Amino acid sequence: MGASAPVTLAIPSIGVRTDLLHLGLRENGSLEVPGTGSDAPASWYNGSPAPGERGPSVMLGHVNALGGARGVFADLRNLAPGSEINVSRTDGSTAVFTVDRGAKYSKNQFPTLEVYGNTSGAELRLITCDGYDPATGFFDDNYVIYAKLKA
Amino acid sequence: MKKTLRFMAVPTLALAAIALSGSPAMAADQSYQSTLGQLNGSAGSGTITLDVTGDQAHVVLKVSGMPATFMDAPYPHVQHIHGGAQGVCPAPSADKDGDKVISTTEGAPSYGAIVTTLSTSGDTSPAAGLDLKVGGQGASYTVDRTFELNAETKAALKAGTAVVVVHGLDPATLSAAGQAAKSDLAPTLPLAATSPALCGTLKAGQMKMPAGGADTGVTQETGTDTGALAVGGGLALIALAGGAYVIRRRTAGAAA
Ligand SMILES: [Cu+2]
Repeated sequence: MGASAPVTLAIPSIGVRTDLLHLGLRENGSLEVPGTGSDAPASWYNGSPAPGERGPSVMLGHVNALGGARGVFADLRNLAPGSEINVSRTDGSTAVFTVDRGAKYSKNQFPTLEVYGNTSGAELRLITCDGYDPATGFFDDNYVIYAKLKA
Repeated sequence: MKKTLRFMAVPTLALAAIALSGSPAMAADQSYQSTLGQLNGSAGSGTITLDVTGDQAHVVLKVSGMPATFMDAPYPHVQHIHGGAQGVCPAPSADKDGDKVISTTEGAPSYGAIVTTLSTSGDTSPAAGLDLKVGGQGASYTVDRTFELNAETKAALKAGTAVVVVHGLDPATLSAAGQAAKSDLAPTLPLAATSPALCGTLKAGQMKMPAGGADTGVTQETGTDTGALAVGGGLALIALAGGAYVIRRRTAGAAA
């Protein structure tokens, strides 16, 4: 597929249906993230390939929200290999991906090349948080879903 | 009064300058990457990212599973960016003398001459190419440093001919002829010491690579104030700096 920016993301098996913000990088090079309200949508990193284009397209969603509410990617950890992910694009087409695997990484040792590195085909990365530490209130880990464009 | 203000302004500016230079990852103009493959029966693995900002290159080279010792000391792995040739790693057929080892010289038609030495400190020019003291030491190591890119390396990156090569094989894995042979580069060393072990072509990234993971968790709310506060890593830092009381009473969603 050619380059066409994403509009919505749907993951039927875990009931996700969200618009996609287009966000970039912060001054320090880290990813900008969506707002923290319970109705906050997920986002696409606009420096990454468009979904369906060759390379890893990167999307982010919060695991939780202000007030202890659920985030748009609250159930990402339950997403099983083989599940379908549908991304609608501004050109009217839909890119359909199949989940390959999920992986948890410490934020201190995040494997940037594995997650953001070049791929030979069109792929998708869905990123949320994991590893909640009740003592600090922080999430120490990221959870990443790896998916590939359905042939 | 004016004098005092002007005097005071100096340390403030100095602090700002320090803060700027200390920022972890300025957005790069272009980033390159490679996952290194094995040559000559090597059991090692490696990855490299190279971010170019202006004429500065920030390199993170991670290597593991390499031979650990050489003459009872940490095995020195000389490592370079080669360039100006075909921009590929040599195929087995590159072994012209039939000793079952692709020497650095035999690999040159594929990956070219040294354009940068990925030394652990000091000189990064080709002149440091065989300096064992600034090679990667031992089985596993990381080189994380920023240096000025020379014109040859810039050109090789742009042309797609820049190839990262980590040298240094375990002599025990070589053929008898290979074990007996001297290095094509430094006759005082065995062939194993300077022959290529890991190799990968530097490719332009398909995206501007973000630094680290994502702040996609909202710090748990424990107070009653749900007022809309600005959120972000900055707030988390302020909360920590504010001491235990603030941490206990954290009321806003600091993304962490
Ligand atoms: Cu070399």
